[in-house]
Amino acid sequence: MNPRQRRLTGTAAALALAVGLSACGASAGAGDDDAASGGSISVAVTDPIQTVPARQTVAYDLNMAVWSPLTWVDADGELSYLAAESIESDDATTWTVTLRDGWTFHDGTPVTAQSYVDTWNAVAYGPDAYENSGQLAGIAGYDDLNPAKGEPKTTEMSGLEVTGDLTFTVTLDGPDGQFPLQVSQGQTAMYPMPASALEDMDAYNTHPVGNGPFAVTGDYVENEPIETESYTDYQGPEPTVDSITFVPYTDTTTAYTDVQAGNIDVASVPAARLPQASADFGERLYTFEAAGISYLGLPLWDERYQDVRVRHAISMAIDRETINEVVYGGLFTPATAFTPAVEAGTPEGICGEFCEYDPEAAQALLDEAGGFDGTIDIYYPGGNGLDELYKAIANQLRQNLGVEAVATPSSDWAEFSETRTNGDIDGPFFSRWGALYPSQQNTLRSFYVEGGGCPNCIPYYEEDVANLIAGADAEADPEAAAEAYAAVQERIFEDFPAPPLFFETYSYVTSERVAELPTSAVGNPTFTAVVLAEGA
Amino acid sequence: MTRRVARRLADLVVVFLGVTLIIHLMVFALPGDPIAALGGDRPLAPNVVAELRERYHLDEPVLQQYLRYLGGLLQGDLGTTFQGQSVADRMALRWPVTITLALTAWGIEVLLGVLLGLVAGLRAGAVSDRLILAGTVVATSIPVFVLAVSAQLWLGARLSWFPVAGTGEGWPTAYLLPAAVIAVFGLASVARLMRGSVVDTLRTDYVRTLRAKGLRERQVVGVHVMRSSAIPVLTFLAIDLGYLLGGTVVVEGVFNLPGVGQLLFQAIRAHEGPTIVGVSTALIVVFLLTNLLVDLLASVLDPRIRHE
Repeated sequence: MNPRQRRLTGTAAALALAVGLSACGASAGAGDDDAASGGSISVAVTDPIQTVPARQTVAYDLNMAVWSPLTWVDADGELSYLAAESIESDDATTWTVTLRDGWTFHDGTPVTAQSYVDTWNAVAYGPDAYENSGQLAGIAGYDDLNPAKGEPKTTEMSGLEVTGDLTFTVTLDGPDGQFPLQVSQGQTAMYPMPASALEDMDAYNTHPVGNGPFAVTGDYVENEPIETESYTDYQGPEPTVDSITFVPYTDTTTAYTDVQAGNIDVASVPAARLPQASADFGERLYTFEAAGISYLGLPLWDERYQDVRVRHAISMAIDRETINEVVYGGLFTPATAFTPAVEAGTPEGICGEFCEYDPEAAQALLDEAGGFDGTIDIYYPGGNGLDELYKAIANQLRQNLGVEAVATPSSDWAEFSETRTNGDIDGPFFSRWGALYPSQQNTLRSFYVEGGGCPNCIPYYEEDVANLIAGADAEADPEAAAEAYAAVQERIFEDFPAPPLFFETYSYVTSERVAELPTSAVGNPTFTAVVLAEGA
Repeated sequence: MTRRVARRLADLVVVFLGVTLIIHLMVFALPGDPIAALGGDRPLAPNVVAELRERYHLDEPVLQQYLRYLGGLLQGDLGTTFQGQSVADRMALRWPVTITLALTAWGIEVLLGVLLGLVAGLRAGAVSDRLILAGTVVATSIPVFVLAVSAQLWLGARLSWFPVAGTGEGWPTAYLLPAAVIAVFGLASVARLMRGSVVDTLRTDYVRTLRAKGLRERQVVGVHVMRSSAIPVLTFLAIDLGYLLGGTVVVEGVFNLPGVGQLLFQAIRAHEGPTIVGVSTALIVVFLLTNLLVDLLASVLDPRIRHE
């Protein structure tokens, strides 16, 4: 993303900060002098440029401090209500959202049902092209605001209706039992904005006003630290610190060094520092399970990859454990399913022997399938710290399958994206997805439904898989839905379109001022519940 | 004199047009759609991409984009980034950092370079001369990135003598270490040039005469040798200032200094045409202007050049 950076993982990896709900807040809070006395913390971030939730792509940390989502998913995957009092539905299509009473924006205006409906209509309005507007695509009437041609004839989605000061209904295009998860902390386009924001979005970007635990004190200036202070009228769980300063860095490695020097409290660990982070920081290295998964995408349009045995062989020839040790310092988890383990109901281990390293069986399978003609040419986006991973995979394929294998980077993300989308690739390629809400639905849709979020991540689009996913979406009961999604994975396993590689984690290092850094289901630190060291 | 300056300024306009066109074409030739890449590996919705492409005129042919850019430029508009900010504002925000950094580095170069060169020149052939020679050769041969990162780790993080990154502590603390890293390279050249100059001057007849007259050594060196040795060094230093202003990309990145070098780097990664063209053109203009100044300065210092 490096800028970087735009850092690739910055976009994908960044979820963060939030309201220290429940467990963390309680264990750190009650009767604890540290929590009572507050304190301040500084956090290294990528310069947001866009601070508005509907537009930001790298400002999750800031967003989760300044706004509060309707629902919150904790590190164990448990969903609880935050700004909402309840979100209910009889048919999973029409949802009634009831807001908590007494909440205000930082400018003092009340947060009402109208605030949400107005915000969502504004965000979905096609001609404004808000970067995150796609998060609202499931709401009925979204297409009217985003016609294929011409200007939209309306400014409101038919699926939104205010039914009271604090209640509104959301009608979806079809039944979707995952809706409460879709309004959790990672889906920032769902955050409410005050009326003043909708009048002047540029001014709002300079001075964001949210409904969350921290208020931005000054104006946002590019490349300047962003100061926030806890909002006294905040109705959610009280944060454990008084203020958070977000300091922009263009180079994450610099931020890492700055944490070593004790100049800043928290930074995410750049890819190049993963192997040494544990030695550098010991217990001050935190590794959080994230809703991200990487695959080795295979060019299913190339006939050499048509035989499922070839795909199995490639998967079994990859020594995930060793790569994890060498490239990621052992901080990732080798994948054993088609969705990240953190997503509720993920059938861990479903991949079985095919995700385990067995070079002999791999060679045997490849021979059985008639060998491999030519070179396995792996293609991945350059300049994103991925070189070691793909070179290691190429080496293993070469050694274990007796096939020539090379890994070639693109010049940058834009080139990779275009080449992949055009299908001008005849070898395996980079393929990953970081889910913004921890549901198997998000990962499965992105990989296995056409237009589902990650174009050409694999691409493997089978009608019956899409139908199975739709069927699981319609389940209103969370457990039944999780089981239905697991069943989708069994169907995918039969075809084994591409080998899953790693369940991702996000790693953070802290200065000695931080005693404990909690997290949530999105894998970013929950800065509002951070525990400072004594005397810090 | 005036006519010469006018002619050089006219040249500038031609260079400016050529450079902006070439950079425009190069940005256009970069593979991939910058808008599609805005969201990284979480792609934006197709209608958002289409809308943004239209908003930033990326759907037009390159020459039309270029003419649009020039048209805007005539009205003082440097264009906008893909996030809708004004390029002029972003540059205005960042120039002070780069200028401060370059001037600090330049100052270090002048002070240390001239001093080292003088010492080496006065003691040509002695141990100290050789040490300075060896030292400058070694320092110049370390890649700037390696030098920057090592200096940051050892002097910043481990010893805490300097801040690791950022401009938070202001000038001079925040700028000293990165400026020193940049200065190392020019420093070696300045020292070598100065040394050669001093050695030459010391051999001249008038220095011998001065000494024969019984002038104190301090005055011989301090006034007479220094003055005539300075001319070639001054020319070099002036040109180097242009290089310094444009050559800070790596160091700004490593030390997290929000200058134009960093802006350029980010813009190139994002394929952000208007920013790339704006920043690189500004850098080229600065370079051309310093060159012009050097020429004028040289003709002032050395009358022989004036009548050419």
